[in-house]
Amino acid sequence: MAVLTKTEPPPPPPKRRRMVYRLRVLRHDPTAALGLILVVVLAYLVVAPLVAVLSDAFRLQFGDEVHAGQQPGEWTGYYLWRVFRSQISGLLFWEPLLNTVVVAVGTTLFALLLGGGMAWLVTRTNVPGRKWMAGALVIPYMLPSWTFSLAWLTLFKNERSGGQVGFLQAQGVRTPDWLAYGALPIIVTLGLHYYPFVLLLVGNALRRIDAQLEDSARILGAPRRTVIRRIVVPLMLPALSSAVLLVVGRVLGTFGTPYVLGLPADYRVLSTGLYQSIRDRSTGVASVIATVIVIIGVLIVFTDMRLMREHRRFVTVGGKGAMDRLGDLRRWRWPAFALGMVVFAVSVLVPVLTLLLSTLTRTPLDLSTLTLDYWFAERLPGAVGFPHGVLRGSEVWEAAWNSVRIVGLASIICAVAGLLVGYVVVRGTAPRIAAFLRQVSFLPYLIPGIAFAAASLSLFAVARGPVPALYGTTFLLILVMAVTHLPYSSRSGIAAMMQLGREPEEAAQIAGASWWQRMRRIIFPIQRGALVTGVVLPFISGLKELSIVVMLTTTGTELLTTLSIGLVDYGYTQLANAVVLIIALLSFTMTSLTQRLTKSSLASGLGG
Amino acid sequence: MPNITLSAVSKSYGGGDHAVKNLDLVVPDGAFMCLLGPSGCGKTTTLRMIAGLEQPTGGTIAVGDRVLDCVERGLYVPPEKRGMGLVFQNYALWPHLSVRENVEFGLRMRKVPAPERRARAEAALKMVHVDAAMDRYPSQLSGGQQQRVALARMLAVNPSVLLLDEPLSNLDARLRLEMRAELKRIHEESGATIVFVTHDQLEALTMATDVAVMSDGELQQLAAPMDMYARPANRFVAEFVGSPPMAIVDVGPSPAGLAGSLLRHVESRGAPERPGGVGIRPEALRFGAPPASAWREEALVEAVLPAGSSWTVRLRILDAELYALSYTPVEAAPGDVLTCWTDQLHLFGADGARMSSWDAAEVRA
Repeated sequence: MAVLTKTEPPPPPPKRRRMVYRLRVLRHDPTAALGLILVVVLAYLVVAPLVAVLSDAFRLQFGDEVHAGQQPGEWTGYYLWRVFRSQISGLLFWEPLLNTVVVAVGTTLFALLLGGGMAWLVTRTNVPGRKWMAGALVIPYMLPSWTFSLAWLTLFKNERSGGQVGFLQAQGVRTPDWLAYGALPIIVTLGLHYYPFVLLLVGNALRRIDAQLEDSARILGAPRRTVIRRIVVPLMLPALSSAVLLVVGRVLGTFGTPYVLGLPADYRVLSTGLYQSIRDRSTGVASVIATVIVIIGVLIVFTDMRLMREHRRFVTVGGKGAMDRLGDLRRWRWPAFALGMVVFAVSVLVPVLTLLLSTLTRTPLDLSTLTLDYWFAERLPGAVGFPHGVLRGSEVWEAAWNSVRIVGLASIICAVAGLLVGYVVVRGTAPRIAAFLRQVSFLPYLIPGIAFAAASLSLFAVARGPVPALYGTTFLLILVMAVTHLPYSSRSGIAAMMQLGREPEEAAQIAGASWWQRMRRIIFPIQRGALVTGVVLPFISGLKELSIVVMLTTTGTELLTTLSIGLVDYGYTQLANAVVLIIALLSFTMTSLTQRLTKSSLASGLGG
Repeated sequence: MPNITLSAVSKSYGGGDHAVKNLDLVVPDGAFMCLLGPSGCGKTTTLRMIAGLEQPTGGTIAVGDRVLDCVERGLYVPPEKRGMGLVFQNYALWPHLSVRENVEFGLRMRKVPAPERRARAEAALKMVHVDAAMDRYPSQLSGGQQQRVALARMLAVNPSVLLLDEPLSNLDARLRLEMRAELKRIHEESGATIVFVTHDQLEALTMATDVAVMSDGELQQLAAPMDMYARPANRFVAEFVGSPPMAIVDVGPSPAGLAGSLLRHVESRGAPERPGGVGIRPEALRFGAPPASAWREEALVEAVLPAGSSWTVRLRILDAELYALSYTPVEAAPGDVLTCWTDQLHLFGADGARMSSWDAAEVRA
C-alpha cells in the first residue's frame, strides 16, 4: 500500500550545497559547457572584430602622428574629422555615400519593377510557360553578382580604362562614359542580379494570399481594381518592404560590380571607398567608413524586423484558401510571354552568351577572330601577367582548389556550428547561454560582408595576445567566411533541432546512452539531411563570394573570385570572363542539383 | 525490487514559481502508480525528475537504498545510469532506425551480445504484438503501433522501473481502451514498478493500483483508486475524480434552500461539527422510495439526457441545479416533480478537507 507522509517544509538547502549538486549535474551534461565554449568562440569571432574596428576608428594609427599631432595609440577624433569634415571628406565619404544612395535606390526600383512584375506574371496570370518561367527567371541570382558587370564591359567598354575596348566601340560606335561606367550600368547590372530576390519574396507572398479575402471583397461589390488596391497591395506590403530593405542592404555591401564598373570613371561607393582606404593603408579612415556601413546595415535590418512585427498584426496570408485561380490575360497572353522571354534573355542569355563568346574571340564578339586560345593556349602573346589559356598553367586550378578547400571547410564548420547552436538552444539546460548564442550568431546578418571583413582585418592583421597575425592565412579566410554565413546556418540549425525536439535524445539517454553515443548515434544521424543542406547552401554562396574575401586574400590564397577580379585589373577581358564563367557554371550546377536532390526551394537558402 | 522514494522534493524554475512543492511520495515495489492531475500540476515534472531528465531544486529521490538525487548532499545519478524505462507522450522513436534497431538500442548500450539482443528485442516486440513490423521504420507505422514500439523499446531492457508520460493521450478512443488492458497485462507479466502520468481520471481509476492526485505542485491525495473515489481527501480531489463531477453545495453562515436542507439532515444525523460544504455524487442521487435514514427532497426535472446505458437528469432542487446519473431508465419528462434521495453525502470542512469524523459517525448511525 502506498504511504503518504506530510512533513513541514524544510528550509531550502544552503547555497553551497546546491552548487555542489549543480556542478555534479553539469559534469554529466556537457550541453552547458558546449554552450559556453560556443559563446566564447562566437564572441571572439563576431563581437571582437566589431570592437576592434570601432577602436581603430578612434585610436591614432602609426604614421598619422604628424598630421594629427598626437601619439600613436592615443584616443582621437582625427579620423572622424577626416572622414566627415575635412577638405577630402567629400572624396572620402560624402560623394561615395551619395553614390551609394543613388545606386541603392535605383537598383531597388529597377529590381522591384522587374521582380514585382514578373512575380505577378508567374503567380497570378495564365501566361504560357509560367512554371518554366518561374524557374528560369531565378537563374540570375545563381550567378555571381558581377557576372553582369563583366558582360556589360564586354559590350560597352570604351578606351578610357585601357585594355581592349568593348564590342560596340570595336564596331565603331562610340560609347560615352555614362553608358560605359558609373551609376547607370551599376544600377542596371545590380538590378538584373537582384530582381529574382524580389520575384521570390513577392511571388511567395502572392501565392499565399487567401483567395477568400479577395472573394469577400468582390462579393461586397468591389471592382477588380479596388480589390487590388485595397486588399492585395496592403497584404503584399510586408513582402515588398522586406524585399526593398534586403536589396538595399545587399547593395550596400556589394563590392564587385561598383569596382568593375565604377572605379574606371572614379565613381566610388562606400564599399569600394572602404576597399581603397584599406589598400592605401589608411586604417583609421577605413575603420570609420566600415563603422558607418555597419551602422547603416544594422538600421536596415532593424527597420525590416520592426516593419515585419507591425505587419504581422494584420497579415493573414497562408491558410487553406490559397490562391490557385489565375487571371486570364486574354489577348495579352503572348505579349506577356514575350516580355518574360525578353527579361530572361536580358538577364541570363545575353550576359552569359556575351561572356562565352568573348572568351572565344580575340576581338570581343567579332566572330571572324574565333579562337580557343583563351581557354587552352600554351602561350598567350600580350598577356604578361597570365601568359596562357585559363585551363593551362596552375593559377586557375590552384584558385579553384583554394575555393573548394576554403569555402568547403568554412561551410562544414558553419553547418556543424549551426547545428550545435540549435542543440544548445533546444536542450534548454542553459537558457541564458542559449539566448546569447541565438543573438550573437545572428549578428553577422546585420553587417554587410565587406564591413565585416574590414573589421576582421582590424582584429587579426596584427598579433594580439596569444593570437598571431592571421592576415594572409587560409585560416582567416575560413573563419571569416564561416562567421558571415553563420546566421543562416544557425537559424536552420535551430529550426531543425526545434522540429526534432529534445525527446529523441532523452529517450536515448534513458536507454543508457552517454552524451557521445547520443550525438553519434542519434542526433547527427537524424540531422544528416539538415547537415548536408547546411553545408551545401553556404558552399554555393561562398563560391560566388567576393566582397568578404577581396580584402583578405593574398597571392598564396587566391580564390576563383579574386583571381577573376585580378584579371579585370590587368585588363585581360577574355581571361577574366572565362574565370567568371567557371564560377557561374559551378554555382549554377550545384544550386540546381541541390534543389533537385533536396527538393528545397532556393528561397529558403536566400535567408530572406 | 525496492520502493521509489521522493522526500521533500521541490522544483522551481528560475524565480519563485514552484512546479513541485515539497513532495513526499513513496511508490511501493511492483505498484502501478498513477500521477493524476490537471495540466500544469507538476505531474510530468515529477516523472521527469524520477527519470533524471530534470533536476529538483531541493529534496531527495531514491530507489531503495540507491540515492539518485540529493540536493542537500550533492548526489546525482544521470538518467543514462538510472536503468529506468520511460515512454514519452509523442513516443520519441528514432526515425533513422528501424523498429528492431530502436528496440535493440538500449541493449546495445548495455553491451548485450548480438544474438541475445536480437532475441530479447523480438520477445519485447512480441509482447506488444508488433513483431510483424520489425524491419519497418517508425514513419511507416500507425500511431498505435508506434506507441507499442516505444513501449517495447523500454520493455526490452527489462527495467525495474517503467515511467509512462501520458502514453495513451495521442491514441484514438478504441486503441486507448485496448492499450489500457494491454498495459495492465504488461504490468502483471513484467512485474515492473510503473509510474504513469495522466490527466484522464478514467485511465487512472481503471489501471492503477495507487493513484496520487496532484494540483499546483502539491500532492492532494494518495490512495487506492476506489478508496479515492469513495473518500476523496478534499474538495479538489472530489471535484476532479468522477464524471460528471461531484456537486458540492457551500454551506454559508445562514444556509437556506438546498444548503439548509442538507445541513439540517447532517446535523440530525449527528455530524460532529458544522461542514463548510456538502458533496453529492450524481450517481448517488436516486429516485423513488427512500430508506428512512436518507436525505430526501422534491426535485423538478428540467432535462433528461439518455446515453444508451445511462441517463443523466438535470434537476432543480430548491434553489440549486444538480445532475443525477442513473443506470436504469428514468421515466420522467421535463416539468415532472420527483422525490429524490441519497444516503451518501461527503462532508468537507471550512478548509476544504474531508471531515473524516463524519465517515465514522455515518457508519455508526
